[in-house]
Amino acid sequence: MVLQTMIVRVADSLPLAASMQEDEQSGRDLQKYQSQAKQLCRKLNEQSPARCTLEAGAMSFHYAIEKGVCYLALCEAAFPKKLVFGYLEELEREFSEQYGAKVLSVSRPYFFIEFDTYIQKTKKLYVDGRARRNLGSVNSELHDVQRIMVANIEEVLQRGEALSALDSKASNLSSLSKKYRSDAKYLNTRSTYAKVAAGAVILITLIVYVRFWWL
Amino acid sequence: MSGGGYAAQNGAGGSYTNGPSQNPVGVYSSNQGLMAPPLTGFMNSLTTKGPPPPGPNPYITGRHQPSPVAPPPSSWSGVAPPPSSYSQHPQPGVTPPPVAPPPSSYSQHPQPGVMPPPVAPPPSSYSQHPQPGVTPPPVAPPPSSYSQHPQPGIMPPPVAPPPSSYSQHPQPGVTPPPVAPPPSSYSQHPQPGVMLPPVAPPPSSWSGVTQAPVAPPPSSWSGVTPTPVAPPPRSWSGVTSTPVAPPPVGNHTGPGPYSTGTRLPPVFQNTMQPPAALQQGLYQAQPGQMIRPPAYHSPSAPALYTQVQPSGSAAQLSPSLAAMSLQSQTPEALRVVNLLQERNILPSGAVTPPTPCLPQDLQKINCCPEVFRCTLTSIPQTQALLNKAKLPLGLLLHPFKDLSQLPVVTSSNIVRCRSCRTYINPFVTFVDARRWKCNLCHRVNDVPEEFMYNPVSRSYGAPHKRPEVQNATIEFIAPSEYMLRPPQPAVYLFVLDVSHNAVETGYLDVVCQSLLENLDSLPGDSRTKIGFITFDSTIHFYNLQEGLSQPQMLIVSDIDDVFLPSPDSLLVNLSECKELVQDLLTGLPQMFSSTMETQSGLGPALQAGFKLLSPTGGRISVFQTQLPTVGIGALKPREEPGQKAHAKEVQHLNPATDFYKKLALDCSGHHVAVDLFLLSAQYCDLSSLGCISRYSAGSVYYYPSYHRQRSPAQTERFQRDLKRYLTRKIGFEAVMRIRCTKGLSIHTFHGNFFVRSTDLLSLANVNPDAGFAVQMSIEENLLDLQAVSFQAALLYTSSKGERRIRVHTLCLPVVNSLSDIFAGADVQAITALLASMAVDRSVTASLGDARDALINAAIDSLSSYRSSVLSVQQPGLLAPACLRLLPLYILALLKHRAFRTSASTRLDERVFSMFQLKSQPLPFLMLTVHPGLYRADDLSDEGALNVSERTIPQPRALQLSVEKLSRDAAFLMDCGTVLYLWIGRNCNPVFLTQVLGVESYAAVPLNMDQLPELDTAESSRIRALIDWLRERRPFHPVLHVIRDESPLKAEFLQYLIEDLSESALSYYEFLLHLQQQICK
Repeated sequence: MVLQTMIVRVADSLPLAASMQEDEQSGRDLQKYQSQAKQLCRKLNEQSPARCTLEAGAMSFHYAIEKGVCYLALCEAAFPKKLVFGYLEELEREFSEQYGAKVLSVSRPYFFIEFDTYIQKTKKLYVDGRARRNLGSVNSELHDVQRIMVANIEEVLQRGEALSALDSKASNLSSLSKKYRSDAKYLNTRSTYAKVAAGAVILITLIVYVRFWWL
Repeated sequence: MSGGGYAAQNGAGGSYTNGPSQNPVGVYSSNQGLMAPPLTGFMNSLTTKGPPPPGPNPYITGRHQPSPVAPPPSSWSGVAPPPSSYSQHPQPGVTPPPVAPPPSSYSQHPQPGVMPPPVAPPPSSYSQHPQPGVTPPPVAPPPSSYSQHPQPGIMPPPVAPPPSSYSQHPQPGVTPPPVAPPPSSYSQHPQPGVMLPPVAPPPSSWSGVTQAPVAPPPSSWSGVTPTPVAPPPRSWSGVTSTPVAPPPVGNHTGPGPYSTGTRLPPVFQNTMQPPAALQQGLYQAQPGQMIRPPAYHSPSAPALYTQVQPSGSAAQLSPSLAAMSLQSQTPEALRVVNLLQERNILPSGAVTPPTPCLPQDLQKINCCPEVFRCTLTSIPQTQALLNKAKLPLGLLLHPFKDLSQLPVVTSSNIVRCRSCRTYINPFVTFVDARRWKCNLCHRVNDVPEEFMYNPVSRSYGAPHKRPEVQNATIEFIAPSEYMLRPPQPAVYLFVLDVSHNAVETGYLDVVCQSLLENLDSLPGDSRTKIGFITFDSTIHFYNLQEGLSQPQMLIVSDIDDVFLPSPDSLLVNLSECKELVQDLLTGLPQMFSSTMETQSGLGPALQAGFKLLSPTGGRISVFQTQLPTVGIGALKPREEPGQKAHAKEVQHLNPATDFYKKLALDCSGHHVAVDLFLLSAQYCDLSSLGCISRYSAGSVYYYPSYHRQRSPAQTERFQRDLKRYLTRKIGFEAVMRIRCTKGLSIHTFHGNFFVRSTDLLSLANVNPDAGFAVQMSIEENLLDLQAVSFQAALLYTSSKGERRIRVHTLCLPVVNSLSDIFAGADVQAITALLASMAVDRSVTASLGDARDALINAAIDSLSSYRSSVLSVQQPGLLAPACLRLLPLYILALLKHRAFRTSASTRLDERVFSMFQLKSQPLPFLMLTVHPGLYRADDLSDEGALNVSERTIPQPRALQLSVEKLSRDAAFLMDCGTVLYLWIGRNCNPVFLTQVLGVESYAAVPLNMDQLPELDTAESSRIRALIDWLRERRPFHPVLHVIRDESPLKAEFLQYLIEDLSESALSYYEFLLHLQQQICK
């Protein structure tokens, strides 16, 4: 069961198209997943793996990135991965054919919202058990599905946080070491002054002593 | 606000004053703080288009100073030469203050006036100005002339005799006004003041000015400059006479045709000030003028001196002005009218809203009164003052009005105040180039980097030139943060009553036919979805899935537990399944033609509709022709025939069940709006049914006694209304938030919506014909504020799936005197707000209470006016001119269907009228309250309006009294939803043949709903008038031609509200009653 589909531009995570969730009857609260999907899109960048499955409890996010556009679907965890990626590929083909040239130039969110109609039709095709049989070709095409990376959504969402924590720690460390360095310098100069002062006192005492007692 | 903050913020006042005085640069910067646009505009003005900005500053300063500062007279007297020059200005003579000097000046005047040559030329040149000035206001010429002025001005002043310089000034000043709206803004009056600031040599500047508009200013100017030396006197005389004298004269005495003509026209066009306002403006201006002289002459070195004046003048612009105007002469709005003696109180044209007393550059960009109106255009400083005035304070909004031009901004980052989330608007102040101060909560915010770039002019570093800061009404394309979910598609569901009764009325044909015709113009894109449900005692769904050869009907007879037989295919994509939809619409009327089912299960059908639409949101259009009788939500007839007669206490204005309200709230939560079309001859309990639309932000249409054959006029109206309904704009999943300056608070909302939080209205759908009203109170004193702002922001999804935000901002001055409050009262807005409040009162208390409250509102405000504002007690019922229509409107409300007590009012009609009062935009509401009556048989092209090559006669509005009707004539009455053409028994036979196409009075058919299209001048005139009246409203008023024997005559007579009726007083009696109560 594909619950939600989003098409997002990776460069600035601008949503390009989406399918309305139509799951009121099942009573599931999709708000949480929706916000996770939004966060996820914000984390994606050019370095992200081109295909990935992220587990989020009873649900899974599957996404595929092609030509700077991310196709993301939220499914029940049990839903066959093969089908999902077949579905995403199908979307990708159609979307890049229809709108591929314009993707980079748009600035308004959901500019291609009319693609929703196609998404819903395709979804029906893939979700409907009877129609699934007709998709036998999908199975053979998706030979490399097995190698798709699997990760946990929490990890992905928190990965950035861990990195930023590391980063802040590192910068903290470097500022501390700088402080240590300046403190040490200061201490050094102070001890130098003390030594010089002591030498001077002794010298003066010596001179005075020589001056008054020896002469 | 701390004192410092105040000064800065009000900057408007303070900064202004300072600005003008000293070096321009310094001044400007200060100004920026106040009004960003002006400042920059000023600086740029020279090169680009800054005309307005420069003008205003000087003006303001000039005015301010004068008013607060006592010196004017003294300084005036002190300076010998100035007086003479002065006198000319004042000539307005009207202004009393400059008593002594004027004479002398006056004597001089005559001469100049006499000298025809000089005078004549200026006027002509002037007249030209207005036009060029008006249209191309932002053209370079004005600024350039301005900039140049200062320099020349400086040099000449010392050299030339003060008077001459003075006179000259005015001229330059004058010129700017016509050219650039801003200067004039304050009240055209300012012009004189304006003139002062530009100290430039009079003659030269003048000539330059005049020509400027016509030809490139600079060149003409330079050419002129040389001349000044010799001509000064003449030019002067000429100048003085034209600019100075004329304005006052024109208004007051009438002689100065050109001057008035020239100046006024631009003003009118720009600000649409009503005549009254104009005059008022002039009055105020006069004081300003007088003041100026002192300021002016003292600063012999114009530039430097001016500063001094400003400092003296406090920031209190408007109060001081108002005070001035009061002393000198009562402004037109406050002219005392004895209602018992003045019979003809209707204005000749439309009643126009008063113009807020704001600096003209602000007023020019202020929100259009058709969209955003306040009952008091001058906001009282304290709640105590408001209580004393006894006038209601509230806003009337028409937020989604169809606009001919609307700036749309696409930006990834919408600039809003960080603490109160106000959208940046023209009334914020720029503290410096990088920071702006919110005009609602006064927080200082940073200007984001992107905002520094102006996409319109493609320049950088002028944030106050951005469209957001130049337009009080603007629309943003919302970025994705404003979306909780992807924008929904347009979804339309039609729920049709197909019981026997419904089929009998024949409405199904009309609906299906209209839908077929307008299927392609339904707002939407390729995602648009459509669905149909019909119901009698069962619910019928229609499977329209692509691929079927014909629509499939699915019947659910279990109406106690409604379910959707096929969740996927009941709502279908319109573009993909258009043929099936067309099939269905063609076949539907016949499908039920022989039904014998009389029951109606509206409640379950609505539940089914809600289930169908709840995942996406959308619009449900319900057509109902009888009382729902089965299933949940069934109702019982509550209207008892005898009960109609019980005058004061009308029962059953409250809903009988809360089912419809609860369902509406569910709908609202899922972005579903329900529009109700009630077509019924019997009682349908609209007060219960109407809840479904009221709380889901839908609209209600009511066609009493609808029958396709028996009431062809109703059918025509239904058809036209449906067409409009189906094709008008629509916004989905909308919310509207109304914010106002700290200190004011909104406490009651009127209209169709659900209030989600204190200031957030949830509108499942928003349509361009919906109006809203809010009541406000003043929680904290607005002591150190000069102006307050209101902002309505409407976030919606367009039918094309774009999320948009439409923002309207209104700015109004704050005043501290009762007379100013009365002067700014907007009688139509007050009436509309009182009507909404009275509807609430009649539902919560009783109709009698509501009627009493309406009468008391009139009594209270007029007695407050009498006791607090009038210094001289005269006999009679006295009202300020701006409120002179209030008793009439109140009486009209008392005789309105919603509140009248006569026996012939049916409960549903009354309830429907109440709905209308609360949810209609003001102009349409006023028509139903106080119809327009015009004499129709002597229409002429005199004063006619020209709209796109059509000539539309503009007859004078007559009072609604039988005494105005004449047997020898024909009259057209415009009641909003219906037009009556009443033919007198002895009506001119020419009219009968030329317009009605009949030979004699007796041959006029009793039921005539259309005018024949005859090829005569009379016929085309009256048809042009009727078409024009119809075009301007979103519903279609039907026309009834009636004569004495017509059955509709009684209804026609009921609209003559000034006459005595069976249960209500005549207008004169009503006035006597008011007077009695007031003097008690």
